[in-house]
Amino acid sequence: MIDSCGAGVHACSGSPGPPCRALASFLFTLLLCLASVRVAPAQAIPYQRPVETAPQPDTIGGGYKTPPVQKPLPRDYWLQVMDVALLAAAMGVSVWLVLARRSRRWLVALAIGSLAYFGFYREGCICPIGSIQNVAGALVNPTYSIPIVVTATFVLPLVVALFFGRAFCGGVCALGAMQELVVLKPVQVPRRLDRALGLLKYVYLGIAILYAVKPTLARDFLICRFDPFVGFFRRTGTPQMLLLGGAFLIVGMFVGRPYCRWLCPYGALLNWCTRLARRGVTITPNKELDCGLCTDACPYGAIKQMRAVRRNCLYCARCYAACPRDGKLVQLTGVRP
Amino acid sequence: MSDDLTRRDLLGTVVRGTVLAALGGGAGFLVKKANGQIVWQVDASRCINSRLGETGMAACNLCTTECVVALSAVRAVNEHSRCGRCNICPAYFNITSAVNELGQPSEKLCPRDAITRKPIGKADPEDPSNNFYEYVIDEGKCDGCGKCVMQCKEPLGLGSITLRVRYDKCVNCNRCSISKACPQKAIMQLPVAQGVA
Repeated sequence: MIDSCGAGVHACSGSPGPPCRALASFLFTLLLCLASVRVAPAQAIPYQRPVETAPQPDTIGGGYKTPPVQKPLPRDYWLQVMDVALLAAAMGVSVWLVLARRSRRWLVALAIGSLAYFGFYREGCICPIGSIQNVAGALVNPTYSIPIVVTATFVLPLVVALFFGRAFCGGVCALGAMQELVVLKPVQVPRRLDRALGLLKYVYLGIAILYAVKPTLARDFLICRFDPFVGFFRRTGTPQMLLLGGAFLIVGMFVGRPYCRWLCPYGALLNWCTRLARRGVTITPNKELDCGLCTDACPYGAIKQMRAVRRNCLYCARCYAACPRDGKLVQLTGVRP
Repeated sequence: MSDDLTRRDLLGTVVRGTVLAALGGGAGFLVKKANGQIVWQVDASRCINSRLGETGMAACNLCTTECVVALSAVRAVNEHSRCGRCNICPAYFNITSAVNELGQPSEKLCPRDAITRKPIGKADPEDPSNNFYEYVIDEGKCDGCGKCVMQCKEPLGLGSITLRVRYDKCVNCNRCSISKACPQKAIMQLPVAQGVA
């Protein structure tokens, strides 16, 4: 519209005078009228397709080359394998930091790194928690298959748990790291309540598997749908999703890692694998110093009568950090306490 | 006491071994079944924006509104070899808008101004219709609303623009939210090699 006006003024600048002004004002009125009816079909061109076939470079001439169509491929396969390798490496580091170094500080660094990479960079995928559904679906449904990296993502933390306990939960899982970092003033949840709430994760696991093994169109991925933090990782999400995540973070300031302890379906599997673990966080109180500082330090209720309850231990190394003897009282032993 | 411990250890080892074997067996089964990398794809012959025979309606923009990625992973792509390269492109211009002094519709169609064009070879300013134009979609701007796709298909255009999932943007959700919302069931999960586009 502005363009046409400008053109009108330009045309009359060659012959100044009153008639031109009159013409200009007439044109302006006309244009105003045009502006008011511009969407009317009468003003639009009667459109007809000018060509029946696409002109090819030889018709166009002039040495024209058809530009290539950009086709971005999925993440390179080697990068996906590297993700799994990183997952394995991070679990190895987690085991080493907690069992050998007993360093809470470095474990927090590992958690931040995992949160940044698996959480914010990879946007919450790869995720062993969600892979339960894919694995269940692929095991039951003959037409559904999953890539090898997903299988590896599912199996690796369980294998580690069979030997060393829940190293995955400590500094590797992005959902866990997110909650680990917000624990501010945790209260000790009464043991009975803790146990009762802990049953929820088995219920959740069961329902999630039931929905995941349904046929293709009815299949639903509850764990992903109700993933509390994936909205943060992707910096977008439905308001319900972000609210749920926010609620978990706020509760998580005062109750240690509520999702991990009571809801995480993968935690249920890790819990049972850890029961068979030969090694893990071990606390052997010295008779002289029965201080129980470690019990108070554990926000997850995983120290009972000054013994680590490995199946609930989330590998946070707080007990080691709280120990006044710093690694002398608490010993790494291959023997069950 | 030590005998007891040994027995317990042995039992533990046996159970652990069994679980490991079960995990390995399950993993082996899944690996054997694995079918390469699976991605979400748009079937252009199902998508209402590109499907033939559906004209004169507003474009479906569920790909824009439902995708969990901030700027939808579904983008409009112009397959240049099928493009008519017309002067008055119904996907570039809003052909129902008023004609300006150049004889072209005065409005563009794309709400995000993602489509640009340049004349191929030397353009004659006196006779712009006597020229071919190369239409390029800026994928950083496109949000997959499908307006241009709806206009580009037969009989108005040649159907060179289709919606495609950009695998580098798609986060490969287990259940794509667009696929849940799509009434045409045009979004499906297939191996990359078996592309529908």
